[in-house]
Amino acid sequence: MKLFIKRSAPVLGLLGLGLAGCQPNIDEPKASAGQANFATYIAVGNSLTAGYSDNGLYLEGQQNSYPSILAQQFAKVGGGPFVQPLFDGANQSNGSGYLKIAGFVNGSPSLALETSSLAVISGSQAAGTNLLAKATASAQNQNLGVPGIRVADVQTAGYGFNNPAGFNNYFERLLGSANATASYQQYVQERVNTLKPTFFTNWLGNNDVLGYATSGGVAPMTTEAEFTLKYNAITDVLTAGGAKGLLATIPNVANVPLFTTVPTAAVIAQINATPIPATLEPTIKAALGLPQTSPLPAGLRFGFYITTGAGVKRLATPSDLLLLTAQAAINVPSTNPMQPFPSGVGLEIPGAPAATVTALAASSNALATNFVLDQAEVAAVQTRTAALNAVITTTANQKGLAVFDSNTFFNGVATNGLVINAVNNSAAFVTGNLFSLDGVHPTPRGYAVVANEMIRAINAKYGSAVPGVDATQYRGVKFPQ
Amino acid sequence: MTVKTLLLAGGALLASASAASASGFQVNLGGQKNVGMGGVGVGLSLDQAAMFYNPGALAMVRDNGVQVGVNAAMARISFRSENGGDQRALQNSVVTPFNFYAGFGPKDAKYKFGVAVYTPYGNKVKYADGWEGRYALTEINLQSIYVQPTFSYAITPQLSVGAGLMILAYGSVNLQKDLPLPTGPGHIELDGKAKTQFGYNAGVFFKPSDKLSVGVSYRSQINADVENGKITYTGLPTGASAALINSQFTANKFAATLPLPAVASLGIGIMPTDKLTLGFDAALTFWSKYRTLDFAFSSDNGGTGLVGNRPTSTSVRNYQDALAFRVGGQYLVSDKLAVRAGASYDFSAVRDGYVSPETPDANRAIGTLGLSYQVTDHLGVDASFLFEALMQRSQSQQDLLNVGTTDRVAGTFRTNAYIPGIGLHYKF
Repeated sequence: MKLFIKRSAPVLGLLGLGLAGCQPNIDEPKASAGQANFATYIAVGNSLTAGYSDNGLYLEGQQNSYPSILAQQFAKVGGGPFVQPLFDGANQSNGSGYLKIAGFVNGSPSLALETSSLAVISGSQAAGTNLLAKATASAQNQNLGVPGIRVADVQTAGYGFNNPAGFNNYFERLLGSANATASYQQYVQERVNTLKPTFFTNWLGNNDVLGYATSGGVAPMTTEAEFTLKYNAITDVLTAGGAKGLLATIPNVANVPLFTTVPTAAVIAQINATPIPATLEPTIKAALGLPQTSPLPAGLRFGFYITTGAGVKRLATPSDLLLLTAQAAINVPSTNPMQPFPSGVGLEIPGAPAATVTALAASSNALATNFVLDQAEVAAVQTRTAALNAVITTTANQKGLAVFDSNTFFNGVATNGLVINAVNNSAAFVTGNLFSLDGVHPTPRGYAVVANEMIRAINAKYGSAVPGVDATQYRGVKFPQ
Repeated sequence: MTVKTLLLAGGALLASASAASASGFQVNLGGQKNVGMGGVGVGLSLDQAAMFYNPGALAMVRDNGVQVGVNAAMARISFRSENGGDQRALQNSVVTPFNFYAGFGPKDAKYKFGVAVYTPYGNKVKYADGWEGRYALTEINLQSIYVQPTFSYAITPQLSVGAGLMILAYGSVNLQKDLPLPTGPGHIELDGKAKTQFGYNAGVFFKPSDKLSVGVSYRSQINADVENGKITYTGLPTGASAALINSQFTANKFAATLPLPAVASLGIGIMPTDKLTLGFDAALTFWSKYRTLDFAFSSDNGGTGLVGNRPTSTSVRNYQDALAFRVGGQYLVSDKLAVRAGASYDFSAVRDGYVSPETPDANRAIGTLGLSYQVTDHLGVDASFLFEALMQRSQSQQDLLNVGTTDRVAGTFRTNAYIPGIGLHYKF
């Protein structure tokens, strides 16, 4: 019988091939541009638009920027070429340098700075600012993303001018000698005049609140009035020629790993549970004004103290968000001989009278304000984010533009995670695949997800059928082999 | 009519025709004559394949005989992601379900006995490299071969009963997918053989007149139990990340159980003239037994084993019982030539939102054609062709989220299958 199968199978196969050559076709609306025209696309924005990742801008990040992914998909519905200010792949591919995982210590990644093949060159006139090699294709540049830029900065003349008072080095490398002192808005105007874009994306605004958050509430946020004025001004530049486009909202920074990785509640619990060593008792009694012979007050324990944005020392609550950088700053032994507690630590007596609470807080070695976004600051950021997002959506509605509501989207990711083609992703640090090692900027996969969501918004607005990408083909956080 | 014109006529018929398999990963290719008649057979006593369709009808089969059939199943699966993008296809392959029967009994005795070998369940799918669902599945090959000693007894000239001991003589599963590792895609292959298991196939056949026959049959469920299946990985890191990642992939053995569900069938045969036979079948496959696909992982050294840092994995199936309706006819053109045609409609075993790449099931419409040519008094050739079209079926990521099946992909599947088959029979 085996022989029979063996002999007849090829015959049947041949017979079948003739009849079965036809693959069933899945009828679908053909990819189309709808009412939009993707012939010439430009992208305006900040680090997210530039492809910044792992605390740096480097070639791989640029190649996987969401504008680059969008342009690649636009090309399927009539989009033209898309030129980015790429770092030279030959010997400057690591751009500004970036964080990478060098290895693992006890299962935790140890991060290292990539310092080879940088695009950093000498000649910076400002202390602490690296001068970067000029973008070679600047005359054709269509990705106008400038890391660090706020809406508040877009009309600042000389924002990218190499001078001793300081400048934005990412903007500097896009500018030529003729427009070295141009403002960002003037630069965008020049690009619009030259390229005559038919489609644009504008994802500005993040840094207008992010700077405040990442500095633990130290740097100021942009006011709503200033934001409205300048945001509309730059959007007007983009739409003046009749181009259609997409505006993106500002995501809630409290959802990114930078603020969610160090769990405040766990730190509080850990400090509360640490027993008071006997060697510290005399110091504590002296500080509390107790005779050395008396016992420690009932309920006395270590507590976790922070310094709020208003400069007040107080016990931390789970509503205060700790920055990723706080990990290394908590429980560092004090170098001040008058301060017996390590950083972040003080004493607390639950249920003590107000005067005692105040005195204990004053004696604590409270964590510096730049490591914590306290509850009031979190509320302030969220309130301002909501206000600025209202400006963005209002502008989009007035001008008939598509909106990618990244705030809503990333809130969903933070709550539910995001499964793509059977692969789990989340907003978790390192393991979540979406956020890079700086805890704020996406990985290539995160950018692919952003591109897909933007495509969804564009398709809905303009009746187009731009296909999305398989985000699982883009990497998350890269581990060494 | 010469043989040559016959073949030409047959060819033309084949080109315009169709016929098939069944719901889930069931294979309803029990006999080449039956295949040509839309898969009917429970209410008929055509030939030795009665051992598969209705053991009760075996005693009513006039001749002793040996017969063998083989089919070349070619499925063409297309997939398009919910996200749009390119249409994905399978790497085309041919699987060859077969059947073998030998039935004997003394002339004019009330009983017949025989042995049947057939492949009631099976599945082979291999997707193109880099397709969207590669982290769900890249390749599956599921095989089962039943061997069934059968006995049938005619209680009266009108009523016969029969039963067979179904032996899962061979069962194997090979399942492969890519692993989304932070060091780049890896690959895992699960490969195992099923233990020998037993079940039964029983039926009753009633033929009150020359013009009418009725049959019922029931094939019991057999669980394909794989113990000590082998796990093979490729693409795991070897350097700095090895300790961290490879500690999540320590298993090299797995155990799993796959139900090969029971089937209850009812069939009617109508013989309006000597030359014409019509069959009508309804079959219910108890797919609802297939709730989850569970794997338990272990390792040689120390017992516990992990895949993706977990000692077990569970994937919901929640299949539903699936009905199929079949109709077919046979016409004896001459003493030597019989032609057949049939059709069937099989309802899907897979609920909405549960479609998985290893069985992209959907309701399917099937059309079949067949013919037999009696070369000598003893030897004949049976040919069949079956075409099946699975209805295009879509599921969105939201559908997957709603039912907790995000271990598979959102998109649209569409499948056609083409199954030519040929058989030889020798009767005495």
